[in-house]
Amino acid sequence: MSGPGAMHDEMPGYFPGRPGGGEHDEPLLDMILDRRPLPPGAPPEMHVLARTLAAAAGSADPRELAGEAAALAAFRRSASPAGVSHAAQRPARRWLPRRSGRGRLPIAAALVGAAAGLGSITAAYVGVLPGPIQQMAHVTVGAPSASHNRSPQTRTATRPPGRAPYEPGPSDHKQARSAGSTPAPSQANHQQQHHGSTGRSPEPAPTCKPGPVPTRTPPKPGPTQYPTLGPGQPVVTPQPSPTASCPVIVPQAGGSRSSH
Amino acid sequence: MIGAAFGDTLAKAQAGDEAAFACIFRDVQPSLLRYLRMIAPDPEDVAGETWVQVVAGLEGFRGEEQAFRAWLFTIARHRAVDAGRSRTRRPAVPLEMSEAAEQLTSPDTADLALEAVSSRAAVALIATLPPEQAEIILLRVVAGLDNADVARIVRKTPGAVRVAAHRGLRRLAGQAERTGVTQ
Repeated sequence: MSGPGAMHDEMPGYFPGRPGGGEHDEPLLDMILDRRPLPPGAPPEMHVLARTLAAAAGSADPRELAGEAAALAAFRRSASPAGVSHAAQRPARRWLPRRSGRGRLPIAAALVGAAAGLGSITAAYVGVLPGPIQQMAHVTVGAPSASHNRSPQTRTATRPPGRAPYEPGPSDHKQARSAGSTPAPSQANHQQQHHGSTGRSPEPAPTCKPGPVPTRTPPKPGPTQYPTLGPGQPVVTPQPSPTASCPVIVPQAGGSRSSH
Repeated sequence: MIGAAFGDTLAKAQAGDEAAFACIFRDVQPSLLRYLRMIAPDPEDVAGETWVQVVAGLEGFRGEEQAFRAWLFTIARHRAVDAGRSRTRRPAVPLEMSEAAEQLTSPDTADLALEAVSSRAAVALIATLPPEQAEIILLRVVAGLDNADVARIVRKTPGAVRVAAHRGLRRLAGQAERTGVTQ
């Protein structure tokens, strides 16, 4: 609301019927607000107003710069935080704690995560992880497989008394194959030897089951897919390849690879 | 206003040049204090807190002088609001009336218009306006911000800011005319 529609005490500078009053003075007021020079024909009160506002934005009083030392001290603290005493940091902390706290937490979490990851990878390459985890590391990061790293003596020495020694079950090999890993020929031989000589029962080993991973073999009906270790057990034989030594599954005579 | 050299000055300050920062401080601090005297209970303290926050964010600031001023006065307004809230939470303690407060409560504001117009007196005259109009005029004239920046700071539309500024200026002009200051 402006001009004649306004209450009188809301617009004491408005004088109806006068040149420059009401909405007619808006260009002049905008010029004053933008600190542009008024035209010579502007009303005198506008000139007074312009001078008043120019004075309000006038040069600095020395007392107004009394806070310069404190501001420069804060600037120095910001530029070189290491060289500041605790007493000098106190005023700045008043404004910076939440910012610093927010920044430190993700960094700490990232460092812990990185340390845990590096430790796990190192352990996987050393081969000291439990069998299923070692096998998973073998699949994911190319660490030596559990069967490759653990000699029977080692397993016997490290296993708790009264427990059957851990042997990677068929699911482990399947997992390795399914994930598209490329076991070394020695590893494939070891797998073959392992399947043929241990005479282990066809029950699947109590290992952590791998998640749903893509498989190269056609799926068979059934809740879980564990290859049998009977006469129809597939034999994994290494095939030379120009790029990688991928094992090829060759069904033995008299049976095909089956699952139950 | 620093003007065309502001970009270089800001870059030096961001690189840690103390003299460049002092140049920016001396340019902005007077208008900052004049504005804060209008809206803050302890203008010097709020100005100091404002600069601490500006220093903390200076390295990440990107923009021209107008944007820098708008950023700084936005911080100042927030700090002033915080200071006002904390003061209302504290128990009321009688305080000595400061010089600025005396000027704000002066019964005869026309005398201020008659006397030689110093910066302080001019700001005090503006402070006799309704708070909203006075704040907008100070941000427009003293801080040197444009209509859009002021609208963002006071959280109003540019149109409302312009109307309020015009009303305040008309009121000031009327006071000047009533006191016969019509040179």
